[in-house]
Amino acid sequence: MKRNTIVKTAAALAFALLIPARPAIGQKHPSDLGPPPPLSFKMPKPAWLTLANGVRVAYMRDTELPLVTVLGLLRGGSIFEPADKSGLAQLTATVLRTGGTKTRGGDAINEELEFIAATVEAMGGAEFMTVIGSSLKKDFAKLMEIYADLIMNPAFPRDKLDLARNQSLEGIRRQWDQPSRVSSLLFNERLYGPDSPYGRRPKPATLEAIGREDLVAFHKRIFSPDNLMLGVAGDVTAGEVKAILEKAFKGWPKAKVDLAEPAPLEERADGTIYYAYKDTPQANLYLGHLGVRRNNPDQYKLEVLNNIFGGGGFTARLMKELRSNRGLTYGIYGGVMEGRDRGPFMVASQLKAANFVEALGLIKDIIRDLQTNPVSDEEIETAKNSIINSFVFNFEQNVQVMSRLMTLKLQGYADNYLDAYIDNIRKVTKQDILEAAKKYMDPARTIVVVVGDEKRFDRPLSSLGPVKTIDLKAVMEAERRPER
Amino acid sequence: MRNPRRIRQAALVTAFFLALGPALLPAQSLEEKVTAHTLKNGLTVLFAERHGAPVFSTLYGFKVGSVDEHPGITGTAHLFEHMAFKGTPRIGTKDYGKEKVLMDRIAEVGREWSLELAKGDLADKDKVAGLRAELTRLENEQSAFIVKDEIDLIYSNAGGVGLNAGTGTDQTMYMISLPANRFELFCLMESERIRNAVLREFYIERSVVQEERKQTTDAVPARLLGEMFMGAAFIAHPYKNPVVGWASDIDSVTLEEAQAFKRKYYTPNNCVLAIVGDVHPQKAIPVVEKYFGDIPRGPDPPVFRTVEPRQLGERRVRFEFDAEPQLMMGFHKPTFPSKEDAAAAVLAYILTTGRTSRMYKDIIQDRQLAVSVSAGSTPGVRFPNLFVFSAAPRSPHTPEEVEAAILEHIEKVKTEPVTERELRKVKNNLDAQFIRSMSSNFGIAIQLIRYQLLSGDWKLFQKYRELIAAVTADDLMDFAKTYLTTENRTVAYLVKKAKAS
Repeated sequence: MKRNTIVKTAAALAFALLIPARPAIGQKHPSDLGPPPPLSFKMPKPAWLTLANGVRVAYMRDTELPLVTVLGLLRGGSIFEPADKSGLAQLTATVLRTGGTKTRGGDAINEELEFIAATVEAMGGAEFMTVIGSSLKKDFAKLMEIYADLIMNPAFPRDKLDLARNQSLEGIRRQWDQPSRVSSLLFNERLYGPDSPYGRRPKPATLEAIGREDLVAFHKRIFSPDNLMLGVAGDVTAGEVKAILEKAFKGWPKAKVDLAEPAPLEERADGTIYYAYKDTPQANLYLGHLGVRRNNPDQYKLEVLNNIFGGGGFTARLMKELRSNRGLTYGIYGGVMEGRDRGPFMVASQLKAANFVEALGLIKDIIRDLQTNPVSDEEIETAKNSIINSFVFNFEQNVQVMSRLMTLKLQGYADNYLDAYIDNIRKVTKQDILEAAKKYMDPARTIVVVVGDEKRFDRPLSSLGPVKTIDLKAVMEAERRPER
Repeated sequence: MRNPRRIRQAALVTAFFLALGPALLPAQSLEEKVTAHTLKNGLTVLFAERHGAPVFSTLYGFKVGSVDEHPGITGTAHLFEHMAFKGTPRIGTKDYGKEKVLMDRIAEVGREWSLELAKGDLADKDKVAGLRAELTRLENEQSAFIVKDEIDLIYSNAGGVGLNAGTGTDQTMYMISLPANRFELFCLMESERIRNAVLREFYIERSVVQEERKQTTDAVPARLLGEMFMGAAFIAHPYKNPVVGWASDIDSVTLEEAQAFKRKYYTPNNCVLAIVGDVHPQKAIPVVEKYFGDIPRGPDPPVFRTVEPRQLGERRVRFEFDAEPQLMMGFHKPTFPSKEDAAAAVLAYILTTGRTSRMYKDIIQDRQLAVSVSAGSTPGVRFPNLFVFSAAPRSPHTPEEVEAAILEHIEKVKTEPVTERELRKVKNNLDAQFIRSMSSNFGIAIQLIRYQLLSGDWKLFQKYRELIAAVTADDLMDFAKTYLTTENRTVAYLVKKAKAS
């Protein structure tokens, strides 16, 4: 043995005494196990019924617990708002719930629901409005009475509109306190365009422009029996569901649903770097360009690509390289996302400021590598196994199943989409992934939005190319209105 | 084997609840599903059966959290939780023998580097740089023998979801959900982790935790306020320390300290394992015995010493930060299982939960002084804790105005009994909440672990429901008069920095 090897060994032994070696009692590895027994799985599916007035209802019986959940989906979210009234969909949803109806006050409804531990809540999303109700099974009829009344006959009183508006205004003030939220808002604005239905956001001016008549009009545009899809899951029979829902929605007239399609999105990303100073310890990053339409022909290839790139937990390239190997972040994710028109191709992370420029380079290297070299056999196998073997978790709870199937139906997926899903994933090849990476990812084109303190970065951003500075304080000031 | 005593108990409990009114429902649904089994080494295993989807969720906890730390090693429990994902002598490595040599050297260099860094301005900068470079060189050498994140890889391949862990003040928990045909895999993986965890890549992971602290605390004004608040409300008891640890402690915890921590607390006798879902205990118990049975029992955890002295005067904290204002107000109180703890839960609901709660109606809806007010017990349940109000004022209203409004409501509770309708409403809701928590494997696992690990017996969930059911208007008034006092109060404001004149 060479001399320094002896020294090293002695040193190693000495240090080994500091850290007692584990007794090697039967240390195990999963490769010791044989193949698992087969999994027996039958995909649960809802039954469908249609009410006399045309409302479609999904139904799943679940007798485990004395609960009922009702899910209502309507096409009509923020992308259908007038541009100068951003925030209308969410205000309509909130005040629909809080404002009561023509025959019941909002506060009285609160009292009635909360006493029996029942809930009805409404949310205005980008594409859909959602109304969710829940109660103990014994109160199902009462729940549906109130639920249907709110949907059909909301009163939209001014005082509740003012309250909701004031709460939204405060929410806007506070959004600037969250650096990762700021980076997300700025990214959407730059990616889709500040006036685009997908990129604009509620501001004091747009909220203040919304009056009661706007809520009434928006409600009228979307709340109609043939625009409402309902789902009921819980300890109630099909007969009870039909009878109670027919009674609750009795007399609801059909109305013409008036939703103009927003203009198609156009790619605006041009490699610009946007920097917004905020005194915060990390660099809050969003980068990307436009992604894909949902239900597109390459969706299964993208599913596997995304899993490998930035969606599959610690085994994903982004997490592995930036967190696990180098400790540059607590969390990073990304992928080619689907949307109604087009989702984003994006990467998001909160990164160690002192290594930010290095991290940005690494991310782009990872993208380019996927476009140049096929992924390894192990990677594609793990991604496909993960997706296929965890598929059963999409069916853990009936409310979850029902919600997914309703959404798929509304979004125009084939009825056998889920049945065919696993086979479609199985078909994806390494070549598919390489081609999808080339087709759908363009690292030179990505816009970069970073919120943080450039003085803490490893190199100035200007070393990467032209930088547009966003003055957050000026943005906030310009948008602010006098306080009520 | 079903325990005949348990069936009789369930019947009594049912009768008890029915006597109190139709709104309260029996908890048989949980009792009937649970099978408990304790191994010779002290590991307690709780099974709850749900044979719907062919999946199961697991949650196991060690009774160790930030409350078991002290200044100098705060954040160790949390950092250790991260380290528990790095594998064993067989999982996560291509050659443990070669790794071990390098890891021993890394331990020594890392310790020297940490000690020099801790000297702050007096540190020898060249020595620090040299040791850091040596550390990086050794880490790079070791990485050739590592199979990255093999635990994650194995579980992903098996269709696992929700692989995660969490550290709190009282406990550290590990979780994974798997398809029902992977039970033996779960037992192999987790028994190996408990018995043989190798803390590889320690210094890289320490860097991840530094970023985690920045992301989840330093960049989040409410969390920073919470740190200031806890530090003032508790002056002696370790509930005052943040779970993620103080930044300087994260920077200086060593590999040896993490390993010593493991030996002390990560023992089967300090552990409860909950398995919920499509499992059959009769078949599962022998598998659990096979894998977990020969993990050696560890020492009993050390006896806890520090008791928070009684607070004898109001404490106020003013925290300046570039963010919209917030406030916290807290009062010391006894923990579960006590009448007072149940009274606190009921009072929190009456005052702040839902649109019919008193503070929502008055402070948020009518006067619009705030956009949110919430109340509850925090930060843990193993020791006497706090009843805390948190609120976000609505511009241009100030924390002072919101504080005054909260105090008005507290005074009212001291002088006027709450109504029967309010009490009834709260009990209906807490009961429904319990039922709703039974609708997921994970929800059930949380209930079981919380009561078995932290209060000593999973059946105490029943005690909680009994205590809640028994709360009267007088109890609430007594609670308010005794505990919601000025001397027992800590108040913290987050306000914007005053502009320089």
